[in-house]
Amino acid sequence: MNKRSLAAVSACALGALALTACGSGGGSTASADKDVTLKLVAADYGDKASNSSASYWKDVADRFTAANPKIKVDVQVINWNDIDSQVKTMIQSGNVPDVLQTGGYADKVADNLLYRADEVLSEPTRTNLIDSFAKAGEVDGKPYGIPFVASARAFFYNKALFAQAGITEAPKSWDDVKAAAEKIKAAVPGVTPYALPLGSEEAQGESLIWELGNAGGLTDPKGAYTLNSQANIDAFTWLKTNLVAPGLTYANPATTDRKTAFADFAAGKAAMLNGHPSLIQMSKDGKVDYGVAPIPGKAGALKSTLGVADWMMAFKGPGHKEQVRAFLDFAYAKENTLKFDELYNLMPVTEDTLKDMTGSGKHPDLEPFFALLPNAAFYPLGDTAWDAVSAEIKKSGGTAVNDPAKVLGELQKKAEAAVSDK
Amino acid sequence: MSTTSTTSGPAGKGSPLRKDGSLRKDGPVRKDRGGLARLGPLPWIGPAVLLIALVVLWPVYEMVRTSFLRISSSGFVRGSAGFDKYKQLFAEPSLPSVVLSTVVWTVVVVGATMLVSLALAQLFNQRFPGRRLTRWALIAPWAASVVMTAIGFKWMLNQTAGVLNTLMTDLGLIDSPRDWLGDPATAWPWMMFVAVFVSLPFTTYTLLAGLQTVPGEVYEAARVDGAGPWQTYFRITLPLLRPAFLVGVVINLINVFNSFPIIWSMTHGGPDSDTATTTVFMYQLKNSDIGESAAMSVVNFALVVVMVVVFLKASRWNQEEN
Repeated sequence: MNKRSLAAVSACALGALALTACGSGGGSTASADKDVTLKLVAADYGDKASNSSASYWKDVADRFTAANPKIKVDVQVINWNDIDSQVKTMIQSGNVPDVLQTGGYADKVADNLLYRADEVLSEPTRTNLIDSFAKAGEVDGKPYGIPFVASARAFFYNKALFAQAGITEAPKSWDDVKAAAEKIKAAVPGVTPYALPLGSEEAQGESLIWELGNAGGLTDPKGAYTLNSQANIDAFTWLKTNLVAPGLTYANPATTDRKTAFADFAAGKAAMLNGHPSLIQMSKDGKVDYGVAPIPGKAGALKSTLGVADWMMAFKGPGHKEQVRAFLDFAYAKENTLKFDELYNLMPVTEDTLKDMTGSGKHPDLEPFFALLPNAAFYPLGDTAWDAVSAEIKKSGGTAVNDPAKVLGELQKKAEAAVSDK
Repeated sequence: MSTTSTTSGPAGKGSPLRKDGSLRKDGPVRKDRGGLARLGPLPWIGPAVLLIALVVLWPVYEMVRTSFLRISSSGFVRGSAGFDKYKQLFAEPSLPSVVLSTVVWTVVVVGATMLVSLALAQLFNQRFPGRRLTRWALIAPWAASVVMTAIGFKWMLNQTAGVLNTLMTDLGLIDSPRDWLGDPATAWPWMMFVAVFVSLPFTTYTLLAGLQTVPGEVYEAARVDGAGPWQTYFRITLPLLRPAFLVGVVINLINVFNSFPIIWSMTHGGPDSDTATTTVFMYQLKNSDIGESAAMSVVNFALVVVMVVVFLKASRWNQEEN
């Protein structure tokens, strides 16, 4: 008897512990006077310890807390490879952050986890967002995703290697790419002529660029997935027979990550690739004389490019709406966004920062990208199934260079299943 | 530790103890105890039971429960899924090849580990100058974190900067550096090599311990009877090594089957799932569907249990005692 009651007491004690543990996470909706700690989870844009985003966010958080002593910000920066799965674990265990900055937002909208953007942004901050991006943050007409940074892709080539191979101008069509790659392979052995990163890091990006080059893409105009359209299959078949088989790119593109391709280009070991603006600084650091051109398409240089936006979102779970609004208004002030964009050579998504960057004349490197941005094609970001589809493409999309029809067909099946499941 | 004491632990409890007269006395005494008195041992075994319940039973329960849930791609629980996740899992196009790879992986790695370890244990059982030092050195792959070892090999195999690539090119074994881990056909052998490498120390020490329990008289008797070295090995050493050998095989089976860090650090199971075992595949599924991933875990769990039971039955684990 004694033992049993003892057991009951200890069970209660354990339960009470668990309850208070949950309580501290969820219950502090109360007054804005109370001390609150916001949890911020953000992706790491740095490529080494010295330029990690952690130091940027710590600085923002410190200055914010100095201005708002009652709100502390707990910063957790996670690298791109792990952030998706870690956020998922947080959601599943009910331990969501207050503010999350990462690559996609729509799947969280499907489960009603997020505040609407107009709930956590003041009017001036919201109108300051560039329209096209604010629009891309809408799900069924309601704003949820808050654009954070943008980027566009362009074609990078190594001028020194081109000169060595006797190539005078940047390739415009796929055939030009192939011809240039053949010359480079012959003239400069040991260099990867075209770096094709279809590894899990960003297979969805590189593959979409090549699909766009053949007038293909991820969805039809109505928004239904068309991953295995004939145009897409043809694009991969071209890659397979013209770049992969003759050894004009990596031996195993499906396991080569973008990080590797960028590092190779910045080290002068790759002659051509599709890069985004962060490659500019890397190339300069590596003393690579690079050129930037529009992305080659099958018939000629593309008018559009792949535009990418990363997103900020606020979770309802912890219930810190007022504090989150204060923090986001602070984080979206021009001095902060400008600092971040300049640190990583990213495109701004706010009007005042864009004006500053285009007008200051300090960013001649970025000008080709500013010009491309209005014509950018985006991923189907507002589709709540996109994150699931994107995860599948990351996993197996790269193997489409081995067997285009089969791999894309299986992906299409998975995409349709994801759509019917959302 | 003597040979018999190693095996009598898991196996021999039943018959010999009951035959023991002194223990039989316990019977009537226990009958006299009623109710509360029976809980007497609880304070002693309680912590262990609690620990097992907390770190073994509860996670197993959670794993099984998750496999019957619909969980959205953002990680939000949407309700029960019935057996849907299992159906979805068995419809995965890559599952058959993953299961096959798992079998090959387990058999090859455990087999090679046992063979090499037998030889190594024999070597370290001899007296030679520097034996103590080499025995210590053998611990190194074991003492180092598996992830560290795997990442080390990944870098050494790197196409542009890897030291192994450079070495093999300089030795003329290959024409130009190769992307060993990018192609499943070459990635598998390398990962198996690393898996054997990290399994050797434990297995060798287990076998070495077994070798040291073989009494010298037996060898002497064999020599007197005129047995040659091979005959001695197969007729005397191996049979007497059996308990240690079985322990090594079972523990390696479980370890290698569940081996995650080596494959994950070296290839992430990619391209697609071409270098994934079921454990790695489970982790890959986590990215798209946690419920399906849990279903894979349950299947994995069942496979390990079945595999070990079948192996123990086949090897007649407690034959020695009867």
